[in-house]
Amino acid sequence: MDDAPRRLQIKFSVPSDPRYLGVIRGAIGPLAAVIGWDESECRAIVLAVDEALTNVIRHAYHNRTDCLIELECRESADGLEITLLDNGDAPDRSKLCARQIGCDQPGGLGTHIIKQVMDKVSYEQSPEGNRFVASKSLRRTS
Amino acid sequence: MRVSVREVGIAKVVEVEGEVDLGTSPDLRRVLFEVLPTVGKLALNLGAIRYIDSSGIATLIEVLKRAQNLKKEFVLFGLSPAVLEVFRLTHVIRVFSVFQTEQEALGT
Repeated sequence: MDDAPRRLQIKFSVPSDPRYLGVIRGAIGPLAAVIGWDESECRAIVLAVDEALTNVIRHAYHNRTDCLIELECRESADGLEITLLDNGDAPDRSKLCARQIGCDQPGGLGTHIIKQVMDKVSYEQSPEGNRFVASKSLRRTS
Repeated sequence: MRVSVREVGIAKVVEVEGEVDLGTSPDLRRVLFEVLPTVGKLALNLGAIRYIDSSGIATLIEVLKRAQNLKKEFVLFGLSPAVLEVFRLTHVIRVFSVFQTEQEALGT
């Protein structure tokens, strides 16, 4: 056996049905707590992952419930990395965080939440589909 | 998510319990849009909400705008810590009338 630390990695194949969002929320919170975040930060991380999944359901799959989202949660050396893969429409980059914050318009809040909670966020197109990656470092938590 | 409605004078209080997300926020929206035209003031109790996401917040903003158009009052009270955090992250708390208790929300 090598001396490399063993770290948790969870993969989900999530149907693009909002009924399953609660299942994922129920898994992410305890994972974030084990890594070391406090209760408030855990709630924020759960929210960010939920918002990312919601964005895929709404904007990539246009609320179709019969598609799949691959979700990978990986404990890293200093925190957590979340990857989402989908085969829906690519995100419209002009609409990412395009909403003015603090105004009374109902849409576009999710990407702002993700950006505020996570340290690094990226959206890419790959041969496998749309790839969303977000990471958060434990050390950067104040 | 469970939603119930009760009358208090000329106002109605809507109680929400559970999780408000992409799957459940349409039901909350439907109830609030149905109740709103029938009252002078609609007070929403958010104290028993364990989770709310941006679709839930967007629903509340939609109801607020409808209330303004109908010249009705739409107020929130009893925000749980989970709800307060999402309001803080989305910076929308200042667009709502927010109270700690039902009595304060109803002005009784």
